[in-house]
Amino acid sequence: MNKEQFERALQEIKAGKEDIRPSDVVVFSEPLRSVLNRAVRIGRISLTDLCRDLELDREKAGEIAAVLISRHLFQVSAFSNEKETFYETRLSAMTRPLGRPPSDIFKKLDN
Amino acid sequence: MSKIVSVHSFRGGTGKSNTTANLAALLAMSGARVGVVDTDIQSPGIHILFNLDESEMVHSLNDYLWGKCGIKDAAHDVTGHLGTQVKGQIFLIPSSIKAGEIARILREGYDVGLLNDGFRDIVTELGLDYLLIDTHPGLNEETLLSIAISDVLVVIMRPDQQDYQGTAVTVDVARKLDVPKMMMLVNKIPSAFDLEDVRARVEQTYKVKVVATLPHSDEMMTLASSGIFSLKYPDSSVTAGLKAVADEIMRG
Repeated sequence: MNKEQFERALQEIKAGKEDIRPSDVVVFSEPLRSVLNRAVRIGRISLTDLCRDLELDREKAGEIAAVLISRHLFQVSAFSNEKETFYETRLSAMTRPLGRPPSDIFKKLDN
Repeated sequence: MSKIVSVHSFRGGTGKSNTTANLAALLAMSGARVGVVDTDIQSPGIHILFNLDESEMVHSLNDYLWGKCGIKDAAHDVTGHLGTQVKGQIFLIPSSIKAGEIARILREGYDVGLLNDGFRDIVTELGLDYLLIDTHPGLNEETLLSIAISDVLVVIMRPDQQDYQGTAVTVDVARKLDVPKMMMLVNKIPSAFDLEDVRARVEQTYKVKVVATLPHSDEMMTLASSGIFSLKYPDSSVTAGLKAVADEIMRG
């Protein structure tokens, strides 16, 4: 991931304050989207794997992970130790109750 | 290793629940332990195919989503309801068919993440080989989540103009979610159509493998969801098509 891709990825995951929804992941740029898709499907990822898959150093990958933790897509696993940090992944988001604005899924997908 | 399989169609009325129930039965016939989750919370129906009466539903998926029970508590062993010998086992997690409970879900919403947790937990707790997710038609957060965590996606469509565009959206989204294995099933094909021609056209359009092209079946209509078609009509061409889908799921 080059500098431009890194900054774009960071901007995308910082774009909201709510939990990251499935429809958010769909519109993330590459390689972030594929890496998160894989992590979500497996249910976990280590910092080392995140570095490798995103082609980032530990500091930058850690920065991405920190934002993902704040938006509840990542949670630091109890299996983490001094040598390695593991994250559990969990897509969340409330379905929209009636009375709220209609889903913006299609707008996102069209974009 | 267990597999999560989502069965989805963009539009309703494609035979999604019927296909899901039949795939569950065929996988169980081969000796597998199969879970089926009815995530079509707004219009549940797959319990009918498994002859699960409302009075037998101790808990439903709704109860789990409201924190009233664990996901395993909402699982009903329906193997004995099939009316035939099955080597494996089928567990159904139905959605509530009580009007008030459906309305509550629509009114209050729920955390999609609980589905994420529930799918993973039920696979482990019941030692499932396959978890089949009968999704709500169209695209919403629940459906995207189901697709996002699935190992296999079965997309169902009818040869109908209304299905074509929506199916393209579904396939596009599934690709963006990197589903490891995607396959299509074209259902309810009129007898005037050539099945192989339909297969070729759909594969060319969507660039996805069409595993089965199923003709419209009067026998299926007559059965009217009162049982599992492939068990009642094992020699039908529709059953052969459904077996092909089950085989493709098992193939890895």
